[in-house]
Amino acid sequence: MSHTKLYAAIYVVLFAFATIQAVVEYAGFLEQSYWLAFWAIIVLSVIKAVIVAAYYQHLRWEPRAVSYLVVGGVVAAVALTAAASFSIT
Amino acid sequence: MSELPPKSSIKRWFLTTNHKDIGVLYLITALFFLIFGGLLALLFRIELLSPAADFLGETGYNQAVSAHGLLMVFWFISPFAFGFANYVVPLQIGADDLAFPRLNALSYWFYLFSGLLFGVSFFQGQTFSGGWTMYAPLNTPTYLPGEALGATTVVLALIMFVTAVTLGSVNFLTTMYRMRAEGLRMRDLPLFSISINLTVWMMLFAFAALLAALMILTSDHILGTHYFSYQIDGAGITQGANNPGASLLWAHLFWFFGHPEVYIVFFPALGIMAECFQTFTGRRIVGRKWFIIAMVLVALQSFIVWMHHMFLTGINLQIKTIFMATTIGISLPFDLMVFSLIYTMIKGRIRFTTPFLFSLGALIVFILGGITGVFLGAVVLDYQFRGTYWVVAHFHYVMVGGATALFGGLYYWYPKITGKMYDEFLGKVHFGVFMLGFNLLYFPMFLAWETPRRVFDYGGLSTTIDLSALELGVYVIPYEVWHNMSTIGAAILGASFLIMFYNLFVSYWHGEEVGDNPWAYATSAEWAVSSPPPLENFHDTPSYASGRLEFLDDEEVAARSSGSSGGGLAGHGATATDGGTSTDGGTSTDGGKPGSATAASSGVQSGGGALARAGPETALGTGTPGEHGHDGHADHASLWPFIVGIAGFVLFLGLSGIRTGGTFYTSLTVVGAVGVFGSFVGMAQEPFHAPEPLLAERWPYGGVEKMKLGMWTFLASDIVLFGAFIGSYVFVRVAYGWEEWHHLIPEAHVTMPGLINTYLLLTSSFAVVLAMVAAEKESRKGVLLSLGATFALGVGFLINKAMEWDHLFNLHGSEAFPHGWDLTTNLASSTFYLTTGLHGAHVAIGLIMVAYMFLRAWNGAYMGDEKPIEYFGLYWHLVDIVWLFLFPLFYIL
Ligand code: HEM
Ligand SMILES: [Cu+2]
Repeated sequence: MSHTKLYAAIYVVLFAFATIQAVVEYAGFLEQSYWLAFWAIIVLSVIKAVIVAAYYQHLRWEPRAVSYLVVGGVVAAVALTAAASFSIT
Repeated sequence: MSELPPKSSIKRWFLTTNHKDIGVLYLITALFFLIFGGLLALLFRIELLSPAADFLGETGYNQAVSAHGLLMVFWFISPFAFGFANYVVPLQIGADDLAFPRLNALSYWFYLFSGLLFGVSFFQGQTFSGGWTMYAPLNTPTYLPGEALGATTVVLALIMFVTAVTLGSVNFLTTMYRMRAEGLRMRDLPLFSISINLTVWMMLFAFAALLAALMILTSDHILGTHYFSYQIDGAGITQGANNPGASLLWAHLFWFFGHPEVYIVFFPALGIMAECFQTFTGRRIVGRKWFIIAMVLVALQSFIVWMHHMFLTGINLQIKTIFMATTIGISLPFDLMVFSLIYTMIKGRIRFTTPFLFSLGALIVFILGGITGVFLGAVVLDYQFRGTYWVVAHFHYVMVGGATALFGGLYYWYPKITGKMYDEFLGKVHFGVFMLGFNLLYFPMFLAWETPRRVFDYGGLSTTIDLSALELGVYVIPYEVWHNMSTIGAAILGASFLIMFYNLFVSYWHGEEVGDNPWAYATSAEWAVSSPPPLENFHDTPSYASGRLEFLDDEEVAARSSGSSGGGLAGHGATATDGGTSTDGGTSTDGGKPGSATAASSGVQSGGGALARAGPETALGTGTPGEHGHDGHADHASLWPFIVGIAGFVLFLGLSGIRTGGTFYTSLTVVGAVGVFGSFVGMAQEPFHAPEPLLAERWPYGGVEKMKLGMWTFLASDIVLFGAFIGSYVFVRVAYGWEEWHHLIPEAHVTMPGLINTYLLLTSSFAVVLAMVAAEKESRKGVLLSLGATFALGVGFLINKAMEWDHLFNLHGSEAFPHGWDLTTNLASSTFYLTTGLHGAHVAIGLIMVAYMFLRAWNGAYMGDEKPIEYFGLYWHLVDIVWLFLFPLFYIL
């Protein structure tokens, strides 16, 4: 598969996932079981983000250290959010 | 590009991009802010002679205390340390400058102008008076006296300062991972450089969280959002009604930054202590490896202890307990470092020079400060100590303890920087008076610990020391006595600096000339060159390949950098300069990244092998194509950083008063904005050549060209910035009640505009990828088409957003929101507009870059050189990724 094709295929997947997220809402899944739908939507976003980072930002082909750098930032942000939110439960 | 005038010429100091010049500028500027902050401290110490506001007045006292804290923590101590870092780190790692010299100058000018902006705030009615921790809601205009324009200016000055810090972190990291001398592994760096490396790592992430906090606060000030304020209902605050998370949100954001910040302050000091201990005991530090491991641990752990500053807030007991444990955990590596320093003294032969004395003094006061910190880390004890002078004493012992080591560093490197020796006797006198003043100032605070901090009306009797046994008829001591001792100590401490300034000033003119290395046993590379070092640091290329410092001539460098390249193009070698680990970047050779044949050859200087002198410095690969030459001529002068600095100053000053709607502030804003834009374009247009070394150690970023590494480090901090914005939204929503939140949102806020924007942005990301592919294939038409499409899609995104916002702003006829749903309506609207607005601003900035690249592509740029497009793509895709989360969070859930 040529690179352009790969990029195009990824584009289609991203497009589809975004649509699914909206469908989850339109189909009323959020009303039925909010938290299940919530996590489904978040997981879809995470998958999309990883794909964009891995292919469009070609982290896949960079030295691992670059990915660690990015992961470091993400972990910091998630730790802040999670711990802060937990602290008031 | 202009020539660099001599040091005697004033012009040089506005033009210079040289790291040593900038180091000197930092040192001098930081000392200025030391005096500024110090005088404020003397003022309020005078105020505290008696327990009443009878000298500065109530608000005067509050302003002086707040400004003192902010100036010392932000504008003095770290910039002072970074004066040394600028001067010394490139020398220690064998580089001729930082990776991005103009960016370095820009950092400095942002720093200076941010400080001046702070100065201006005193003249806008009042400066900020809510304490250096800026706790909410006292940091919002409602709770600040007067119009609070000065307070807004301070917040903006901090933003400008943080910008300088972020640029600096990116610069230092790129430098340290791309420009180390051959054979110099990370772990082999001198300890000062290691400490700076860890410091900038912490800065990169911590300051991004602070930036988020400050931007949100600015929005509360200027745009009227409601992150940090409660709804005031007549006399009282409505309980939990509209923003129950307000003040805790600030505390979380601030301390998530704030605790790493205390190590950011302390690490450079630790590095200097380590260097001075080694030099003046003539012994390598005991347990060097463990010392380094301990530092790395502390740097990591520093991000998981922040809630020990929140033990007295309403956070739950479980989390308090966890954070008590992590806090105790972080003191352990510190113990190890302290013991290692002590053993170094025991094992070595000490020479009591001034730098050593200051380092030793720093160690001693740090021990006291550290131990009292452990008290504070225990939840039960902190219930007593929180908000008292115990805390004030603790953090002055550690922070000013750190500053003590920095003054040691000033004496240590003074001969290197000036070529002259300071007067040793006066240095020792300074040390004696300094220690006397220090302890007389801060120790009594432990004794008067029950006095509440930040309160001028502190009257009462101290029970710390019981005098009844003396049968004097007096049983207890009034707090006043301890406070008066402190005030005297403050005067002595302040006066000790007169000795230092006198000494350094006179020595500059009349001091004894020194050679390369005035200190026996000093081994790091800055001592291997003349004092002061030549403009480009080393005449020949430093190398540690043989296990010790050697200098290679050009022929040798050429031989090593091409000979080892395995027959590749010169400068594209997969070499084993980092001890044979030529694999780290090498993986990309086989596949290359898809659609990137040339990237595969240029992107894989595997394993830190040599890289041909890289192109120009700016992100978009601007400047003249001719610069790609290999002549090695480096530029050292540019006026643009200074101009950007001034323009930024004008812009922020304008913004501070924009909410008044007056012409003065509005026109400043406009002029400033145009100035910033114009000067950035000017800077991008200016040809500026900052060559990468031919021969360098680059683990673990061997295959990552310097622009790319710079971009990625910047993006990492941007991730934290967005993360903190999203985190803030999640936090206030959790505090409010996740699902109840829906009542705050009008029916008219539907999914569709968000979905359309998702499509637009995804497509634009795809278009950028196509532009890169087209550039590789040298198709000018393809590049223009794809960049054009990116631009159009981005503009479409913004237009769609504008329409959506306009609709929501004017929701007439909506029952729940009769006045429309705008930024100020409620918490949901505040978070929605601000978070997606920040994202929109990123899109807009991206579009400016796209437009610029489009023009360059029109003129034939990027053919066969897709790298600038690739680097821009990294940014653009991140903006896309962020939207992938904003869309569900703000439109679906
Ligand atoms: C041995 C390690 C340390 C421990 C266990 C520790 C612990 C603590 C704790 C628990 C507090 C919160 C007290 C309260 O507000 O109730 C605190 C405050 C503080 N610490 Fe430390 N600390 C340590 C080292 C340091 C260092 C090295 C610095 C700076 C160089 C520092 C600077 C500060 C500052 C500035 C505050 C006061 C913040 C404020 O204004 O409220 N600490 N420390
Ligand atoms: Cu702390």
